[in-house]
Amino acid sequence: MDAGNNEKKRELRVMGNDYLWDRSGEPDPEIQRLEALLGRFQYNRPAPVFPEIIPARRWWFFPIRARLFPALAAVAAMAAIGVVTFLVYQRKPNKSPGWDVSAVEGTPRVGPKAISGKEGNGRLGVGQTLETDLQARARLQAEEIGQIDVEPGTRLRLLNMGSGLKRIALDRGTIRTYIWAPPGQFVVDTPSAVAVDLGCAYTLQVDDSGAGLVRTSLGWVGFKLNGRESFIPAGAACVTKPKVGPGTPYFEDASPEFRAALRRFDFEDSTSRQRGEDLAIVLAQSRGRDALTLWHLLARVDESQRVILYDHLGKLAPPPAGVTREGILTLDQHMLDLWWNELGFDDISVWRYWERSWSGTAMPANAK
Amino acid sequence: MGSGSGEGFGLLAAGFARQPVREESAPQPVDDTKLVSAAREGDRAAFGSLYDRYARMVHGVLLARVPVGEVEDLVQDVFVLALRRLSTLREIGSFGAWLAAIARNLASDYHRRSMPEDQLTVDASENEIEIPMTAGDREGPAAAILDAIRSLPDAYREPLILRLVEGMTGPEIAARTGLTPGSVRVNLHRGMQQLRAKLSPSSGRRPEQEGP
Repeated sequence: MDAGNNEKKRELRVMGNDYLWDRSGEPDPEIQRLEALLGRFQYNRPAPVFPEIIPARRWWFFPIRARLFPALAAVAAMAAIGVVTFLVYQRKPNKSPGWDVSAVEGTPRVGPKAISGKEGNGRLGVGQTLETDLQARARLQAEEIGQIDVEPGTRLRLLNMGSGLKRIALDRGTIRTYIWAPPGQFVVDTPSAVAVDLGCAYTLQVDDSGAGLVRTSLGWVGFKLNGRESFIPAGAACVTKPKVGPGTPYFEDASPEFRAALRRFDFEDSTSRQRGEDLAIVLAQSRGRDALTLWHLLARVDESQRVILYDHLGKLAPPPAGVTREGILTLDQHMLDLWWNELGFDDISVWRYWERSWSGTAMPANAK
Repeated sequence: MGSGSGEGFGLLAAGFARQPVREESAPQPVDDTKLVSAAREGDRAAFGSLYDRYARMVHGVLLARVPVGEVEDLVQDVFVLALRRLSTLREIGSFGAWLAAIARNLASDYHRRSMPEDQLTVDASENEIEIPMTAGDREGPAAAILDAIRSLPDAYREPLILRLVEGMTGPEIAARTGLTPGSVRVNLHRGMQQLRAKLSPSSGRRPEQEGP
């Protein structure tokens, strides 16, 4: 059995714990104990007397004559029903897989069609392109997936809307996403990396050169290109560049010196000595939570630097049982994963499990 | 700290002799729609029924974010705010999701009010606000477990508190909050996994067993 199958079995076994989900399976004593202890905080206050509710006066604009003459009012009502029915039938039959599009500001376009109004009167289907000019903003909504706010100057395409994988390509511009689909199902291709939602809210920017920046505000995001992976938890950010791929993620409250050195280390064509100097700045400026950055650097430094990095990371977050110095210095994937889980950001097996569902077809947007 | 609900709160305080929050066995979205429609037309009893149905969800959402001692007042604030804005709710079938959003926003407002002005920054790390503890939070092992849950990432706190504190099942959490069952299930399991790790003896956080 390979490691991938074992991971999948483990995920399914964990998800099979029905007692946690709906109390239907075999009771879990640990969960029962927590329920008993925490039950004291349960809310049990009675409903108060609420203030008077003043109904919205939705029909005040009807002409007084309509209210005075019931027949005229009935005709008006019939006409209104007819209009509503017409509009509903106009929209419903074309509910193909896609995202509802509404204009937040200005006039976004889906292909040649201009979208106006905030009622979600547009639809972005598979193969279609949404563009906002510098005055336009749009909102995409899909009930089972989430919401994407599209900022001015953005161009994106809907590539896939399957039951297990929803995929868009962000060619340029900025999107703010809040995704409630299960982790790993929402994927964004950019010109320099593929971003995978792992249960979160994040902002993704792509400039005209194809460089990107992801900033996570909830959950975490996976960024990948050609085997180079970055995991970006809430509060962290990561830059990606064409032909290089995702850089090393960092917490946004890290010092300016830390971030500048990291950017040079990731993306500048430096000498070995310069890279060593930049790494020394990163290590000197790192705090406990910057273990995030140091863990990622383990696979991005040369062997001599990895020894120093191992010792430094070990001081910030000691390696757990099962992780050896030799294993990390030879980049043993299982040990790296164990250490990542010890950092407290999230369980990397979620990524390993879901990654297989899309990585086989992953490629940056400009490669298509 | 007061919740500052403003007008209407006196009425709320005077009315606490009503029936307790009822245990809901299964979500009833159709009835919700009728209740919301009736409440919009001025039916206070209908709004009271919505309170019965959603109070625990709102309490759980707030408990995931603000100190225990502040939560009950904020629950009342959420419902007063919802009542005032009910006519602006576009999709009455989304009442739960809308109410949860109001609760989350009020929790954010609470932290903004509690924070000195010079600490207010627009930073992606704002979701990692540390929840200050009050005297009421310090109640032995249960409080320690609650602390551990509230130190988890935002996405896990809410479902775990709704499940373990408020006694809701996963399907109920999904129905009440408007989230998909899939995402609730994943977040429950991932959150529970992290909670077990935090409470394991090696983490040094495991509270002692309670009782004799």
